[in-house]
Amino acid sequence: MSKLNRRKFLKAGSGALSALALAACGGVGTTDTATAPSGAASTGAAPSLAGAPSAAGAASAAAQSQAPSAAALNTAGRTRVLFWSAWGGKNAEGVQKLVDDFNASQSDIVVENQFQGSYEETAQKLTAALAARQTPDIATMSEVTWNRFYLNQTIQPLDEYFTKANFDPTDYVEPLIKEGTRQGKIWWVPFARSTPIFYYNRDVFQKAGLPDRGPETWDELREWGPKLMEAGGADMKVFAYTTAKNYNAWHFHGNVWQWGGAYSDPELNALLDEANAVEAGEWLRRFVHDDKMGYMAEDQSTDFINGVCATTSQSTGGLGGIATSAKFQVGTAFLPQQKQFGCPTGGAGLAIMANAQEEQKQAAVEFLKFLAMPENVVFWSKHSGYMPATNSARESQDMQAYFKENPNYQVAVEQLPKTQKQDTARLIIPNGDQTIGTGLERILVNNEAADKVFADVAAQLERDAQEVKQQVKDVPLT
Amino acid sequence: MDITLEKSAEARSGRATWLDVSTQLLKYAILLLFVAVFLVPVFWMVSASLKTLQEIYTFPPQWIPESFKWSNYVEAWYAAPFGRFYVNTIITTFFGVAAEVILGMMTAYAFVYLPFPGKNVLFLVLLAALMVPIHVTILPNYLTVARLGWLNTYQGIIVPGAAVAFGTFLLRQHFLTLPNEILEAARIEGAGHILLLTRVVLPLSRTTLVTVGLIALVGKWNDFLWPLIVTNQTAMRVLPVGLSYLYQQEGTNQWGIIMAGTIFVVLPILVIFVWAQRHIISGLTAGATKG
Repeated sequence: MSKLNRRKFLKAGSGALSALALAACGGVGTTDTATAPSGAASTGAAPSLAGAPSAAGAASAAAQSQAPSAAALNTAGRTRVLFWSAWGGKNAEGVQKLVDDFNASQSDIVVENQFQGSYEETAQKLTAALAARQTPDIATMSEVTWNRFYLNQTIQPLDEYFTKANFDPTDYVEPLIKEGTRQGKIWWVPFARSTPIFYYNRDVFQKAGLPDRGPETWDELREWGPKLMEAGGADMKVFAYTTAKNYNAWHFHGNVWQWGGAYSDPELNALLDEANAVEAGEWLRRFVHDDKMGYMAEDQSTDFINGVCATTSQSTGGLGGIATSAKFQVGTAFLPQQKQFGCPTGGAGLAIMANAQEEQKQAAVEFLKFLAMPENVVFWSKHSGYMPATNSARESQDMQAYFKENPNYQVAVEQLPKTQKQDTARLIIPNGDQTIGTGLERILVNNEAADKVFADVAAQLERDAQEVKQQVKDVPLT
Repeated sequence: MDITLEKSAEARSGRATWLDVSTQLLKYAILLLFVAVFLVPVFWMVSASLKTLQEIYTFPPQWIPESFKWSNYVEAWYAAPFGRFYVNTIITTFFGVAAEVILGMMTAYAFVYLPFPGKNVLFLVLLAALMVPIHVTILPNYLTVARLGWLNTYQGIIVPGAAVAFGTFLLRQHFLTLPNEILEAARIEGAGHILLLTRVVLPLSRTTLVTVGLIALVGKWNDFLWPLIVTNQTAMRVLPVGLSYLYQQEGTNQWGIIMAGTIFVVLPILVIFVWAQRHIISGLTAGATKG
């Protein structure tokens, strides 16, 4: 046996290492070739998909990943637009269908749809991608995350491109497009927008001898409370609030406005400790701890479906799931008023990255224009349960017919023009959503007085606002 | 006298057996409790994967589905290209684990058996690498990988996780316990480093190797964050990322389908685990009997 000395060993070791590197490079080789066969694979799978029951629909969209579906088309010489989306599940099919339809509808542009995880994950990836200069051309941004990219001036104002594309953005529903408009320019267009609505158990309402409608005011709900609890059995609560993790600050945002208060002003000054907001918090505290009618649910949808509570506030996006899972008749209504009406918007929109190439920007706007066409808005809205983002879609016959079949959905859409953009405390102040949310948990769980809790929350918001205040001065929020 | 002795002995043994039985029962009760802690979530996952959404949301919970809804599996499978995800996961896990184990064992060998200056300092540096949380290295790693043009590639997923200090550490500690006499004997027989490593050190370290391999395997197979970050295309995604294709952004999740998808992810690793743990146990007992 030849004796190996250390040098020889090191040599052998580095040999092994480079073999490993080669093996990894083998991986590279397969990467490129892999995309092509995968196209073949997914088309090959198509017949079996068609044979599969309801899964077939779910399959085709997602299974045809961007690369294959692009391969199916002749994409040579087309402008390639990279689109980062954030929808899994059923909505992923809907997005992919819109992209495929767009690609098939013309021959100059090809949009590549890349799913990036949740809104938050997409935003994190985008932040990293900006640092590495590996950004997409269009990205999905939630009502909260888009502010970050706006303040850092990484997204593109779109008006010029709209004009060039002969696209009229005034068709977008006003409160929604206004939210994405700053310094007189449009930065962020509505796509998957939702709002909270009021859900009620119609069976229990009927049993309690109550009218088949939501309460006009929170006080009315409180009056109805004893009847509801009696009709629903010993354990039934009247209304479910939720946890900070489950965005109770979004749901409570309506309450603060309804009592005439606000979370903050546009200059990022916290207003939560002022009289009206505190009154809203105190009403909630009494409703939960003195009246024993309200409570905090881990997930209000689950509790509502199981008859743990008679009413709740939940996103319009949950409508389909709740209606199919509940064993009773589900009713929806506008959020109750108190001194006035108040309801925030939520969900996500689309923005074009400022560092995209000029050609890509214009092409991306063509895609936005396509998405705003009435038939596409209607398709997406019906498919996902998000609000139709344009007036033309809302007024279309197709949509009107859908309203007739789904009166609950119509309620959500009718409430839409009355909604407004959220206060800066939740949108801009870092961690604002959770700061307010954990404050609300203190009231909901610990029965702490609202004035004390909101004073603490306001102080925390003020502290956290410091780091962005300068930024907001440089990049106006209106 | 004899009788009394016998009697007391009997009494003693009677007491003893009673005590034995009760401690035995207690032991079993505790064991059962632990089994429940581990198995109930798994059972819940399997049972939920066969339920309708309504059944999942029912309270009090329904442990066994009324009718098995196998279509959850079909829907999960077709909701995203899971076949492709399997291929990607197998490739990245195989090369990732191979790299981690091979690099770990060679590094550990060097640390234990090769004399070189600054060995202890270097080992401390290695340990320091162990203390750095992965989230700190994600951004720099991402930037490096992006500049290399490795986004959406297998090497982009594999290479940053190829050298993990933990395996090296574990193997080094084990190598240190090996009796020097055996190694001396092998050296006298004329074995060089490669032979020593492959014929002597590794066979004596099978248990630790399997342990390191398993930890690496589970880690790579289940890795979500890094593969999500370095891949943008569906064709390059791995199984755990694939699961997120089943989640709804807002609204009601189809938990039955999500649980079915989760079973796609955990099943292979479960099988491998059950198979590999035999080796860990046989390794342990092999050492014990030799004495």
